[in-house]
Amino acid sequence: MNLRMVGCTHRASGVDLRQQLAFGTEQTSDALARWRERFPTAEFALLSTCNRVELYAAGAGPVEAPETDELVDALLSYHGVPTKRVEGQILSLHQREAVAHLYRVAASLDSMVVGEPQILAQVKQAYQRSVDSGAAGPALHDLFQSALRAARRVYNETSLHKHRVSIPSVAIADFASRVFERFDDKHVLVIGAGEMAEETIRYLQDAGATRIHVVNRSPERALELATAWSGVAVPWERLWDELAAADLVIGATGATEPIVMAERFERVVAPLRQQRPLFILDLAVPRNFEPEVGEQLGVYLYSLDDLAVACERNRDARAAELPAAEQIIVAETDAFMAAAHRRITGPVISGLRRNLEEPKVAELERLFKKLPDLDERSRAEITQFADRLVNKLLHPPLESLRDASQEGPPHGLLDAIRRLFRLEE
Amino acid sequence: MSSGVNMLCFTASFGVALALEVMGLWARPRWRRLAVVVAALAGIVAQTWYLAERANASPWAPLSSQHDWYLSAAWGLAIVYLALVLYQPRASIGLFLLPIVLALIGAARFASTEPMAGAEMPRIWGILHGVFLMLGTIAVLLGFVAGLMYLVQSARLKNKAPLSERFRLPSLEWLERVNARSLIAATILVGLGFVTGVLMRLALRDGSGLQWTDPVVISLSGMFSWLVAAEAFRLAYPAARRGRKVAYLTLAGFVFLVITLSTFMSSKSMHGRGGESAGAGPKTAGTSPAARMQQSRSERAVGFIPTVQQEVTP
Repeated sequence: MNLRMVGCTHRASGVDLRQQLAFGTEQTSDALARWRERFPTAEFALLSTCNRVELYAAGAGPVEAPETDELVDALLSYHGVPTKRVEGQILSLHQREAVAHLYRVAASLDSMVVGEPQILAQVKQAYQRSVDSGAAGPALHDLFQSALRAARRVYNETSLHKHRVSIPSVAIADFASRVFERFDDKHVLVIGAGEMAEETIRYLQDAGATRIHVVNRSPERALELATAWSGVAVPWERLWDELAAADLVIGATGATEPIVMAERFERVVAPLRQQRPLFILDLAVPRNFEPEVGEQLGVYLYSLDDLAVACERNRDARAAELPAAEQIIVAETDAFMAAAHRRITGPVISGLRRNLEEPKVAELERLFKKLPDLDERSRAEITQFADRLVNKLLHPPLESLRDASQEGPPHGLLDAIRRLFRLEE
Repeated sequence: MSSGVNMLCFTASFGVALALEVMGLWARPRWRRLAVVVAALAGIVAQTWYLAERANASPWAPLSSQHDWYLSAAWGLAIVYLALVLYQPRASIGLFLLPIVLALIGAARFASTEPMAGAEMPRIWGILHGVFLMLGTIAVLLGFVAGLMYLVQSARLKNKAPLSERFRLPSLEWLERVNARSLIAATILVGLGFVTGVLMRLALRDGSGLQWTDPVVISLSGMFSWLVAAEAFRLAYPAARRGRKVAYLTLAGFVFLVITLSTFMSSKSMHGRGGESAGAGPKTAGTSPAARMQQSRSERAVGFIPTVQQEVTP
């Protein structure tokens, strides 16, 4: 197998380049089709997320996959990006390094937020698109299946993924879930329509929230966000009514002063709520809620600072799990590479076996003709003897090949066997 | 024939379950949860066996004596605990519930094994009276535990204390719901227990009338009045349906329950004779139900216990 990966990731390239090289769903299918046309013997898979654009190419033999330069050119030319623009920002990996990289990506060890769960689904999607486009073959099938297996092992055998580290995920999974048993019947109010608000809505929807109201000073932006997440845009003037009705509030505006004052909250909202629990996530800097709002009965107010402590603790917990996760990646990579190397030896082993089998059959025929009086039992014994002899003769070279495959492609040994036994290519 | 199952068997099982729950505060190996379930289940099976033997051996069983009544309440609460372990596997509910289960078993250990009501009492009313009050007690205790957990969880969230995975409690929403439902159930069940007690007395027709001055009747009336008032307050005042207020209501209900149970055990009332027979527990503890029944019969035979005419329920 010949495997290469080229692409850009958040580690080496800026967000501008990643955005420039990003592929949408339809673009991916189109690009895969084009590349298949250009390199008919190769298999392709494209992983495009906000943190990475990676093109994987594989071929059954050394000549069937494109060279690194050809792959970079294929990737850049699709978007019309000049080579000079990506200097020093393109990552290219070959064979074992490419395998280990995909495993680390799938297990979320290479993510910007290590352990974040979305990447595994994105890797699955990338492979599925490649299959649907007819760009995947046996080589990429083995690679991606083993990558998913490695990721699952990391997920099951370490607690890396159990410790959430992004602010919204910690807020929802570690704190809001201690207040509410379920989210599908909760009234969620989002104040603001920025990135943080959107990310929090994503986690809330994952947790089951369906009644999402968005208030924002700019009604257009509120409508845009509400539409994107099947929510309802509410006029800014109704903020206080919404606060009285909500169960969970996310403050994420860019206001320079608090927009929810404790005095007004106590006077207007508290009497209407009658101590009904209210969970407030103030994710804005500076704060959208005066801290005194949290002193009201039934109100649980968390600011970024409060959540950052939990995030930091989870980050430390994740860091402690990293060595175990990396060990799994190394073990899985070793196993995959050894299996790939063993596959290279397949034709030689078949040739070797054929070289011994053919004379065995011929010699047995000759012997049985010479000894026509042999009964069935004797014939079977002699045949078994010949089989055992062939197997014993084959055993040492096969063992040597297997051992050599653990280290790398045993080209030298394969060549020697071919010459020794006069095997045809 | 005695099976050899005694109080020590299920006390030890529940003790092991509690120890495993405490261990969970420091370490949570994978086998811990299974071990908790096995220990709790073993305790319930042993206790069921023990109670069944008691029921076989006593003409007045089940719930015929204070001893049986406490054990039945502990048994019911242990079943609730097992169900919650399966429903809320990550929560440390056992840290709150199991001490109460063990406390009820402890109370049974020192409680009288003598029948609370004589043969002349209408059996059906006696059973209903005992069962309703036992279930009401379980409801009050469950409400108390949920209220306590609510206050702990609420305080942790308010103070933004680190929420350890090793000491996880159910969500406030769930606790509030359990709290409110426990209060409703406790009010209804204690009310039914009270009414069946009155009906039992009326059905007796021995001219003794309703004994309202009995200390147990007084404390039970107090608890029932409190539960009715608390439920009415909860229904009339929306803020009392939520959060800490309903938790406080159930905590107060627990205080009334403790007073009632203390009176139940200590006073020389028609509900038992705690004064004289309190010592019977330690003497017979650790023995099988049949042996305990034999002992209580022999005590009655030598006139140690007042006559059955004196031991009537309200």
